[in-house]
Amino acid sequence: MLETQIKNELIKIVGKDRYLDRHEEISCYAYDAFLVESLPDAVIFPETTNEVSKILQTASRYKIPVTGRGAGTSLCGASIPIKHGIVLCFSKMDRIIQVNTRDRHIIVQPGVVNADVQKALLPFRFFYPPDPGSMNTSTIGGNIAMNAGGPRCLKYGVTADYILGMEVVLASGKVIRFGGKNIKDVTGYKLSSLFCGSEGTLGVITEATLKVMPMPEAVKTMMVTFDNLDNTAKAVTDIIGSGIIPVAMELMDKLTLNAIEDSANLGLDRKAEGSLLIEIDGVMEACEKEMKKIIEKVKKNGAVNIQTAASELERENLWTARRSAYGVFAKLAPDIITEDVTVPVSKVPLMIRQIMEIADRHGLKAYILAHAGDGNMHPMIPTDKENKEDWEKVEKAFSEIFQAAAKLGGTLSGEHGIGLAKAPYLPLVMNKDTMDFMRTIKQAVDPDLILNPGKFV
Amino acid sequence: MTQKLLQNCGKCGLCLYVCPVYKIIKEEQSSPRGKLQLIKAYENNNLATSPLLKEIVSKCLMCGSCSANCPSGINHYSKFMEMRKNMVEAQGEEPAIKSLIYLLSRDYRLKFGAGLARTGQKFIPDSFAKNYKLGNIPLKNFPKLNSIPFRKANDEVILPDKKQIGTLVYFTGCATNYLYDDTGFAFIEILKHMGYKIIIPKDQTCCSIPLLFHGAAGKSLKNITTNINTLKNFEADKILVDCSTCGEALKNEYPRMIENEGQDPFEANKIASKVMDALSFIDQNFDLLEFDSNIKEKISVTYHAPCHTKNSFGSNIIFENLLEKLPFVNYKRTPDVDECCGGGGTFFYEHPEVSKIMVDKKIKNAKAVKASIWLTDCPVCRMNLAGNLNDNDNLQVLHPLNLIASALKPL
Repeated sequence: MLETQIKNELIKIVGKDRYLDRHEEISCYAYDAFLVESLPDAVIFPETTNEVSKILQTASRYKIPVTGRGAGTSLCGASIPIKHGIVLCFSKMDRIIQVNTRDRHIIVQPGVVNADVQKALLPFRFFYPPDPGSMNTSTIGGNIAMNAGGPRCLKYGVTADYILGMEVVLASGKVIRFGGKNIKDVTGYKLSSLFCGSEGTLGVITEATLKVMPMPEAVKTMMVTFDNLDNTAKAVTDIIGSGIIPVAMELMDKLTLNAIEDSANLGLDRKAEGSLLIEIDGVMEACEKEMKKIIEKVKKNGAVNIQTAASELERENLWTARRSAYGVFAKLAPDIITEDVTVPVSKVPLMIRQIMEIADRHGLKAYILAHAGDGNMHPMIPTDKENKEDWEKVEKAFSEIFQAAAKLGGTLSGEHGIGLAKAPYLPLVMNKDTMDFMRTIKQAVDPDLILNPGKFV
Repeated sequence: MTQKLLQNCGKCGLCLYVCPVYKIIKEEQSSPRGKLQLIKAYENNNLATSPLLKEIVSKCLMCGSCSANCPSGINHYSKFMEMRKNMVEAQGEEPAIKSLIYLLSRDYRLKFGAGLARTGQKFIPDSFAKNYKLGNIPLKNFPKLNSIPFRKANDEVILPDKKQIGTLVYFTGCATNYLYDDTGFAFIEILKHMGYKIIIPKDQTCCSIPLLFHGAAGKSLKNITTNINTLKNFEADKILVDCSTCGEALKNEYPRMIENEGQDPFEANKIASKVMDALSFIDQNFDLLEFDSNIKEKISVTYHAPCHTKNSFGSNIIFENLLEKLPFVNYKRTPDVDECCGGGGTFFYEHPEVSKIMVDKKIKNAKAVKASIWLTDCPVCRMNLAGNLNDNDNLQVLHPLNLIASALKPL
C-alpha cells in the first residue's frame, strides 16, 4: 500500500472509485498471461490524458514505479508490476474518438479493444490489419506498446506500420503529440517507432491515430499437405519468390496435426509430414490467377493433397484446425508454454528439426505451429509448472531454442515481446553497445526509471 | 477443499471478452480469470475470507460463457459453486437469499411459500407496488403466481390427442410450476399434438441450481437425490426441460455432484443422456407439427438467447433457424441476441447497478427492431426482460413454446 499522503493525492486526481488497493483487488493485477506474479500497491483507472499526466507527476515526485496495462494478455510479462508501485490500467479509457475512412484513419483511446476497432470499421468496409491472437480481448494501447503482430501481418505488416500519430505522456507528466492524420509524414524523428514496442518503458500512450485499409474484394483459402517437411518449407519460399505475398501461411508439422486430429477429429491427414494453410486476398481476378500459381508451386514441391475453400463455410472449416490448436495443446497438461522465436524463412525446416531435437533430449514434447511466411515459430510445450523437475527441463529447453534461433540468424521474439520472459537472453541477439544505446534513450526520457522498471532495459 | 482440477488457468484472458460482468465493470477482479486467481489464493491459504471476497465471488451471472470459451477447458462453474459455498459458510448469507434457499430446498415449503406470496400479492397496496422495487424490477412488474401449481393442475400421465408415437418425461422446473404455467400448458399441447404420451412426475422438486449457485451444496444434494430417484422410475424416450438451467443441472451437474460424493453415477448418467431442451426437441420433431393455415398475417418476433441455452445446449442457433422457417413468423434479429440480459438467477436482485445496464441495452435493441413479441426460453430472463419493460413499450415477453402452441392446427 502507498503512504496515506500519496494515496490521497492520487485519489484527488481520479476519485476513490477508480483507485483500488484492497488485497482482493490488487491480487488480480499481479499477473498477465506470463508465469510470474508480483503485487502492485495500487491500481488506478485513468479516463483522460490530463489524469494520466497528473498521476505521472505525482509518481515522479515520489519515484513510484508505474506499469501500464490494458487487458493483461502479455505473453512475456510486460504488464506485470515486478517492482510493485502503481498499475495504470486503461480498461476504462476506451472511447473511439473518430472513424474517418475517407482519410483512412481511426482515432482511439488506449483502452479500446482491437476487435472493437474492427467492428467500428466494418460498416465502411475497412479494417485494421494487425490481428494478434488476443485481438478479442487485447487493447490498442497494449498492442502499440508491444508492437503486436498476427497471422495476416505477413502481407500487411505489424502495428508499427499502422501508426500515423500518437499522444504520449512522459514520466515527468509532460504530454507530447507527434505525427497526425497524414499517410505521408517525415517531419522530425519518427517517434511512433520509438514508443511502439517500447513495452511501456519510455512513455504512456494516451491516444493513437491508426491507419486503416479497405477490405479486399476477395479472399481465397487453401490447405495443402506434404509428405516431407523440407518441401513444405520450400513451397513457402517458392511462393513468395514468385512474387505472391499471401495474407497468411500457417505451417503445422506431423506431431501437431496428429494431436489436433486425436482430440478434434477433423479428418486431417495423419500421414502428412507438414501442412500449409494459405490465404490470399485482393481483387477477384488477381486472386484466381495467384491461386493457380500457388497450386503450381506446391505441386512442384510434392504436395500430396490440395483442398481449396469454395465458400465462407469451407474457409472457416479449413481454419478450424489451426484455430483449435492452442485449445488442444492447452488441455494436454496443467500448463502450456508458448514461445515465438523467429528465423529467416529459409531456415524454418532446420529450426523445426532443432526444436524437436532439443525437446527430445529433455524428454519433452514440442508441438510446432509457425507463421511460416515470416519465419515466426510457435513451439508449444505442455508441462506442469508446479513440478520443479519438469519445469527446469522446460526452461533449459527454451534457453537452448533461443540459442539455436540466434545461431540461425533469427531473433528471440517475432510478436510476443521481451518483457520479463526473454530479458536474460537479449545478449544473444544484441551487442553491449546496442543495449547501452537503449539504456541511454531510456535514461533521457525517464531519468528516475519509474516507467515499467525491471523489464528488458 | 476441492480436489485440484487438471488444468491450470493459463491466464490468456480470452474469458474477459465473453464475460458480461467484466464488459461492464472493466476491472479484472470482476472477470473469470480474476476470480480463479482469488480462488487459488484462497485454496492455498494466501487469502482469507472477507465480505469483499464474498461480494466479488457473487458478482457473477453463472452464465457459463467463460467455461464455454476457455481454451484450457476449465470448469469455472464448479469452481465458482465450491467457492460460493465456502463464502456462505464463512460469511453467512443475506436474509432474502436465505429464505429463497429455505423455500427451494423442500417442495412443500415452496408450495406453502407460493400460497403465502399469492396472498401477499393480493394485499399489497397498489401505491406500494408501483413504487417498490426488488433489485431493479418494479414490484408491479413481477409475474403473478400460478393460481394452482402446474404439477397439481395436471395429471401425472397425459395421453396424446392421436396415435401414441412415444413417451416423454417432462421436468417442469419451479418457474413453470409456480410462476409461468402458460409455458407448461403450451408444452403439453405441443407434445399431445405430436402424439406423445407425457409423464409429469409428481415427486420432482427444484433442480437445485439456485441452491448450488448460492453455496448450499448440502441442501442441493437432497434435491438431486430426490430427482434422480423419481426420474429413474419412468421409462421414456427423453426427459424434456423447458428451462435450460434445469437442463444444465440434469445434464452436467447431477453426474458430477453424485460422483464427487463418491456415489455410483450410473442412474445420474442414464438420466443425463436422455435430457433434452424444449427447443432442440421441437426442432427435431418439426415435421410432426401442423400449423393453422387460417393464420394469414405474419407476426413480428424477436428473440433473446439465454446464456444456459447458448452454453449448455447451443440450441439458440437451432431455434433462430427454426424462427426463419415458421410460416407465421417474421423474425427480426437483434445484433445482441445472445448477450446476457443481466438476470442471472438472483443477480438482478444482488447487483442491480450492473444488471440494469445490461437489461436496458437489451431492451433498447429489441425495441429498435420493432417486434411485437419477444421470445426467451428462460424464466429468469423472461422475468427480467418483462419486468424492466415499460407499459407503453408494446412488447410482450413469452416462452417460444407459447408462440408455437398458439399457431397449431386445431385437431
